[in-house]
Amino acid sequence: MIITLLVLAVLAYIFFTGGVPLLLTILLDFAIFSIVTLSLNLEVGHTGISQFGRVIAVIAGAFAVGAVPGRLLAWFMGLPHGAEYADDAVNYTVVPKLTELLASSVVLSVAFLLFSLILAAVCGALVGWLTSRPAIRLKEAYLGISLLAFGDLMMWVGHNWEPLVGGTTAVFIPDPFRVVWAYRFPAAVGTALVLVFLTYVLVRRLTKSPFGRALNMIRDSDVAAAVCGKDMVKLRTYSLMIGSALAAVGGAFYVIYAGTCTAVGFTRLTWTFWPWAYMMLGGIGSDVGILLGVLVLVVARTLILINRTTLFGFLMAWGIDPMWLEYALLGLVIIVVVLFMPHGLVPAKVEPVLPVERVRQVAERRPSEQPDSA
Amino acid sequence: MNINRLYAGYGKFKVLFDLEMEVPANEITVVVGPNGAGKTTLLNSIMGVATVFSGDVVYQGKRITGTPPHKAARMGISYVPQMGNVFAGLSVSENLQMAGYWMGKNELNNRVDQVLDMFPVLRQFIGRKAGTLSGGERRMLAIAMGLMRTPKLMLLDELSTDLAPIIAKRVMNEVARLRNELGITVLLVEQMAKRALEIGDTAYLLVSGQVRFRGKAGDLLRDPELSRVYLGIKES
Amino acid sequence: MAPWLASGLVYASALALTAGGITLLYITTRTFNFAHASMATWGFYVAYTGTVLYGGSPYRYFPLSFLFGSLLGVVCYVGLNRPLLRRRAAEITLMMSTLGYDLVLLSGIQIYCDYLTHTFRLFPRRVTMSSYDAEIFGMSASPLILPLTAILILTVFHLFLAKTKFGISMRATIENPLLAGVSGMNSDKVYLAAWVVGGGMASLGGAFMSMAMTGTPVMGMMTLPFMFAGAILGGLYSLYGGILGGFLVGLAEYGAVYYLAMLGGPWVLGYRMAIPLLIMAIVLLVFPSGLAGLPWGSLPRKLAGAMRGVKS
Ligand SMILES: Nc1ncnc2c1ncn2[C@@H]1O[C@H](COP(=O)(O)OP(=O)(O)OP(=O)(O)O)[C@@H](O)[C@H]1O
Ligand SMILES: [Mg+2]
Repeated sequence: MIITLLVLAVLAYIFFTGGVPLLLTILLDFAIFSIVTLSLNLEVGHTGISQFGRVIAVIAGAFAVGAVPGRLLAWFMGLPHGAEYADDAVNYTVVPKLTELLASSVVLSVAFLLFSLILAAVCGALVGWLTSRPAIRLKEAYLGISLLAFGDLMMWVGHNWEPLVGGTTAVFIPDPFRVVWAYRFPAAVGTALVLVFLTYVLVRRLTKSPFGRALNMIRDSDVAAAVCGKDMVKLRTYSLMIGSALAAVGGAFYVIYAGTCTAVGFTRLTWTFWPWAYMMLGGIGSDVGILLGVLVLVVARTLILINRTTLFGFLMAWGIDPMWLEYALLGLVIIVVVLFMPHGLVPAKVEPVLPVERVRQVAERRPSEQPDSA
Repeated sequence: MNINRLYAGYGKFKVLFDLEMEVPANEITVVVGPNGAGKTTLLNSIMGVATVFSGDVVYQGKRITGTPPHKAARMGISYVPQMGNVFAGLSVSENLQMAGYWMGKNELNNRVDQVLDMFPVLRQFIGRKAGTLSGGERRMLAIAMGLMRTPKLMLLDELSTDLAPIIAKRVMNEVARLRNELGITVLLVEQMAKRALEIGDTAYLLVSGQVRFRGKAGDLLRDPELSRVYLGIKES
Repeated sequence: MAPWLASGLVYASALALTAGGITLLYITTRTFNFAHASMATWGFYVAYTGTVLYGGSPYRYFPLSFLFGSLLGVVCYVGLNRPLLRRRAAEITLMMSTLGYDLVLLSGIQIYCDYLTHTFRLFPRRVTMSSYDAEIFGMSASPLILPLTAILILTVFHLFLAKTKFGISMRATIENPLLAGVSGMNSDKVYLAAWVVGGGMASLGGAFMSMAMTGTPVMGMMTLPFMFAGAILGGLYSLYGGILGGFLVGLAEYGAVYYLAMLGGPWVLGYRMAIPLLIMAIVLLVFPSGLAGLPWGSLPRKLAGAMRGVKS
């Protein structure tokens, strides 16, 4: 509670010092990383999968949106849409035309946006299914490392295979927010916040449902879940597919908003490790905590970033770029959380598999069968 | 050694409940009970291996609850666990050397000779990996390792398991001799209840983590009800 | 010597050391050490700093690299790993904690590079250490010296484990920490020793690595999956398996990339990250206990049997 008030106070402070643009930037970062981190929490916190390859699904969404919807539009308009679409010289001239087309029609823009997000979700679910193949066999650290390496590979594929998303150069993405011209930024932020809201509701409903309780059971004990007849393979697969689809939507929205997609931007640092830090700070397994964790760290990062010349001027005198302190901040957050607050800001509630009321009913129904004490 | 109001277990799982026990010096205290009663857990919590939730273990007037195992070992407590009691990847001589880890070189060699005299069979396996020994040979090695440390207090868990009856008898006599000649205090957990109770002084019957009987070892042996139900000893 | 083999041998020795270190830390403290990445990079920068600022051959500074790595390992153990081990933290928590440490070290590396640039007008972000290499018999020395050094270090370590009392107690603690404790061995000292040796091996491995490839602040971070692949190929529970695994992964990577690039063109180079992934996938799906799990003793006999079976 106190923390929430504090965060609100800080947001108000930002609003008065930095004005609306800064506030919107923070909200946008918050929204995109909330989606990604909520999806991470679904897999890690609720299912117990050591997901060290969050970037995989984010890339799936981002690359899909970078490669496909623009090509479709180009094809529709009779512009170059083959491998040459991603060539920077061609891309540079084609995409503005596509954006112009989108700007002419609200319906078309909305359709484009929806199509892109749905496409991303489908691609995310696909890679989620793909990664679930090893995930149902391997445990903990083994899986984590395999996923980590896979994420790196995805990034290098994008970096080296030019027809996908431009390789070393960026591929541009037609802008569906251009229709609202001057309100582009607020509209994008508003859409992002709606997406966060939807993600949050979805994740909450999932984890409260029988499906979610079964997931928690797998997390807490494979054996118990198996004994109760839960098909663990299926449950883990679903969890990975849903989580990855959500993360892909996050990645997709990020590139749509940015207007470009560059493969090397999708590092494990930004899209796997930072979400882990957000999740650990917020509290693994606690969805409200996640939102808070993301907000706190995004605000902290932004404040440090904009004030770095005044805060770390002494470093710059030595020729040192304070940017590097980001890594240290990330590392220290993880260390402090692990050592001193393992449950995070908002510890996850331990919920019994059956509600207390049900347990009582079951107990009353069979009063005679007391466990036999030796 | 005294144990007061001990609650112990593993992680969050409680095994022992409100346990009171006295292990008089220079005597053999026998603990018997059905499988899963918590006998091993009792020894583990004395040694600092299991989790102690509350209560005290007092040894030589000092509270030793929560001391790490290696410190307890250096205070003269020697523990022969029920399982995993030899280093399978190490040779027999390395095992013995490890058992007397902090002894000087001469003392160590002397002790190795002494315990090998007790179990002459081990001499022929001296260079072999402990993992290649038979069950009984391993058990002998484990006991030899326990004796390496010239302890003041010995915690022995299921000593006679895996041993041929004649060797088991010899081991029991050896335990009795430790008390009689060296004045070592012994806390003995045994399935071969009859023989153990014969050499023991005090006896405890542990059932579901609680003490069910305490008293003279002979009394438990002669109690028709308890010895029949829990120990399978027929009235004689 | 085939052109790839020279740097391949150097790189393979580097991976043998780092993968061995990862395995050692895992079998002692249950910790998958992510910080191996930046420990390796720091090892490279120690050697680099010595070479460019104080002159001489890079080899002179390799012992310093090892010591610095040990120091980083000790800090990690005392500050992070020990408190968590006492709490009996889960494997995944131990792993996360080293990730945090790695990022702090990475931040240190970047800051140090800026400092070198500003103060000494150096260019530490793209370094070709092999240009400082000495020459033996008319060719660069590293493909000869470094594998030998790696073998020497591993032999010394092997003798230490096999013959010395502390070495035996280390093996005992690895095998059965419980019994080691009740026998009076202090597991704390064993774990500390593991971090001293493991950290040292990581940093020395990083210094080796920079003789085979361009040294950058993210060198360790980029090669971390390869180090883990080596450890996993080795079976993760066997120290010697990990060392051999790292060596094989290194050679396989350089060999495969070289020949595939000859066949298919230089674009292959961009996809080398697929190699550790492939190796890990094969190991984990086909022989999950790695090299150490293969029946080495009976392998020739079985193979011979299979051959006879084919003939008859
Ligand atoms: N490491 C452990 N973690 C969790 N529970 C354990 C552990 N070891 C034992 N238990 C449980 O504690 C209870 C008591 O076990 P303990 O080993 O103390 O029994 P015991 O009296 O020695 O039995 P036995 O005669 O079979 O050796 C058992 O229910 C057992 O399942
Ligand atoms: Mg027992």
